Amino acid sequence: MNNKFNIDFVARKKLFFIISIAAIAVSILSSFIFGANLDIQFKGGTILTYIYDGAIDQSQFEADATAALEGIGVTSTVGEDFSSGRNNIQLSLISNSGLTSDKQIALSDAISEKYAANNIELLESSDVSPSSGREFFLKCIVAVLLSFIVLIVYIALRFKNIGGWLAGVCAVTALLHDCIIVYGTFIICHMSINANFMAVVLTILGYSINNTIVIYDRIRENEILFRKKKTKTEIVNMSINQSLTRSVNTSITTIVAMLAVTIVAAVYGVTSIISFSLPMMIGMIAGAYSSVCFTCPLWLTLEDKIGKKPKAKKAKA
Amino acid sequence: MRKIKKPVFFVVFALILLFAASVFFGVTTYYGDMNTVYVKGVDNIRFGIDIRGGVDVTFTSPEDIDATDAQLDAAKEVIVQRMINLGITDYESFIDYGNDRIIVRFPWKEGEANFDPEEAVKELGETAELTFREGYEVDEAGMYTGVTKDNVILVGSDVQEAYAAYSEDKSGNLEWQVSLELTSEGAKKFADATTKLAPSRGVISIWMDETCFSYPQVQTAITDGRASITGNFDADEAKALADKINSGALPFKLVTASFSTISPSLGSGALEAMVVAGIIAFAFIAVFMIALYRLPGAVAVVALVGQVAGTLAFISGYFGFMNGSILTIPGIAGIILAVGMGVDANIITSERIREELANGKTLDGSIESGFRRAFSAILDGNVTMILVAIILMGAFGTPDSIFSKLLHFVFFMFGPSTAGTIYSFGFTLLTGVALNLFFGVLCSRLMLASLSKFKALRNPKLYGGVRHEQ
Repeated sequence: MNNKFNIDFVARKKLFFIISIAAIAVSILSSFIFGANLDIQFKGGTILTYIYDGAIDQSQFEADATAALEGIGVTSTVGEDFSSGRNNIQLSLISNSGLTSDKQIALSDAISEKYAANNIELLESSDVSPSSGREFFLKCIVAVLLSFIVLIVYIALRFKNIGGWLAGVCAVTALLHDCIIVYGTFIICHMSINANFMAVVLTILGYSINNTIVIYDRIRENEILFRKKKTKTEIVNMSINQSLTRSVNTSITTIVAMLAVTIVAAVYGVTSIISFSLPMMIGMIAGAYSSVCFTCPLWLTLEDKIGKKPKAKKAKA
Repeated sequence: MRKIKKPVFFVVFALILLFAASVFFGVTTYYGDMNTVYVKGVDNIRFGIDIRGGVDVTFTSPEDIDATDAQLDAAKEVIVQRMINLGITDYESFIDYGNDRIIVRFPWKEGEANFDPEEAVKELGETAELTFREGYEVDEAGMYTGVTKDNVILVGSDVQEAYAAYSEDKSGNLEWQVSLELTSEGAKKFADATTKLAPSRGVISIWMDETCFSYPQVQTAITDGRASITGNFDADEAKALADKINSGALPFKLVTASFSTISPSLGSGALEAMVVAGIIAFAFIAVFMIALYRLPGAVAVVALVGQVAGTLAFISGYFGFMNGSILTIPGIAGIILAVGMGVDANIITSERIREELANGKTLDGSIESGFRRAFSAILDGNVTMILVAIILMGAFGTPDSIFSKLLHFVFFMFGPSTAGTIYSFGFTLLTGVALNLFFGVLCSRLMLASLSKFKALRNPKLYGGVRHEQ
């Protein structure tokens, strides 16, 4: 009765490995084809500040600027000057977007003509270099690597009875797999890589490791109950199936909740939130998939390979 | 478990609802026009520039100075450090080397009562050069002159570390001061000067830019590399001065070229959209949980309300002993992950109870062993989250926080400046997961066990027990 599901996940490992490798390949390839879209904080660029009177439609202004710049995308914020009390609008352009001085003049002309009624004038034009971008990313990478090490050690200690070290390494491999897919989503959707990207990667990292640990926990329990009666493959399959209802229900709940966020953001026209919620959703799907279909088959395969080598090593693990 | 009585549910339920209500609405009284905030509600949450916008300041070097790239880099580092000291952990900063400009953005909401952006901007642009000078010769305006102007004994960069400290005077009052640990070079200069001045009972005056704090007499030669600054400080002033010294001095006074408000970088309406999205997502989770797991599902929803309220409470500064934090998109990601963990903890437990029932156990036995057997998975999942959160807080927190000190051996090669928004992710994740262990495990268990004592609620169907039998 426990076995509402009885899917032989381990036997289908070839299919799962192919799916995973294909997803990773697409992510990496597209990063070469499209190139990463780095945010102004990481790439540097130009910030133009205009002051004006009256009211200006922000999205219309962005569209006009993009048209004047022959398709270069801009982002903008609006505000009010503290000293003069006049309205301002700031345009941010990323540096590799191909902004030449000709184009900048064309932009100025177009803007001052179109918004003449608003007495628009250019207050400031700053060419900014990347702020702490490089250091920020390096620090993130070091933090993520340290997390990986800590996770492997923790899993090795807590899951000693099922050969913890290898289980930890496989869990972390699955995390890498998920992170690459999240990265690929950003690239393919032309979303800019910024601090929010790191937030999504970190969220998926946590989400996915938790999924894996729940399954490992079931294997740990079943290993004690059925060590003598069943093979390792049977135990792993049984454990994945027993926890499958939970995996599916948790995934549906979280993924649909993110879908709701995406839809609301679209309805409100705040598209920048979508560049956060959509990759989050894809990452959740990847995380749910990898812990059910990828991690354990990988672990059994590796254990098989290592098990054929000298026994001493296995005893240690 | 058997000891848990019927009323327990109502107590836990009422406490969670009361807590949630006070977090969402705050506790304030209106007396005429006077509005007194006793407990900060969600309205008091400070949002990041991404969600609610803020201010944008452009600093430039003074006209007569042509700043080098290195000076601009150093100035930016100092400004960032000062912002962190002011509690601004969410900021953007850019340098325009060509025009000698430093652009800084930080969150602010119009009408924000306890944060004055103009004051903050003034403080950010100050040179803040600490000097120890020989003698106390001043002109009518109180500005140093003569010997005092020419003979500088120590400057801010001779200080290794400054911290606020206090001593008790004879009548038992606390006297706050700033203690300085000097670098070896500074210690030597200070030792030389005090050795020279001690016999004549000379005076050393201590200045921050053009303000003199005090001018103590030198009693003996000081050779241990320690000095202190007194000057009628209270605790906050001493701490602020120590922070200022630790952040270092700017190479020159910065001029504010422009200063304006900016709209949210996510686009206007971002906050409203986030709130609506959050409510809809939560409503969906509630309906789904109750539809799937009936009674344990309903209990889970109450526990989740408690968890979300608790996380928001930590961010808004609801608990008086802790400062609030700035909520940014990464911070919201942390909340989402923690809520996901909360949902998962309840799903794992509910599934286990269902399994135990399907195996033919009694209701009480199923609830008890369901919680027990689910716990190891929940614990391991949540502990790994806590470990990751601590690493992130250590990597991106302010240099003097516990976690930063703990992980200094890994991140020593990075400057302290990248406190950034990822810290906010670690913060909400850590609090969220810790609250999950409290609400999602402990409170859920108390509520469900106590509800199961009611006769009307003893039908296994309410726990998903019969689904498999049909």
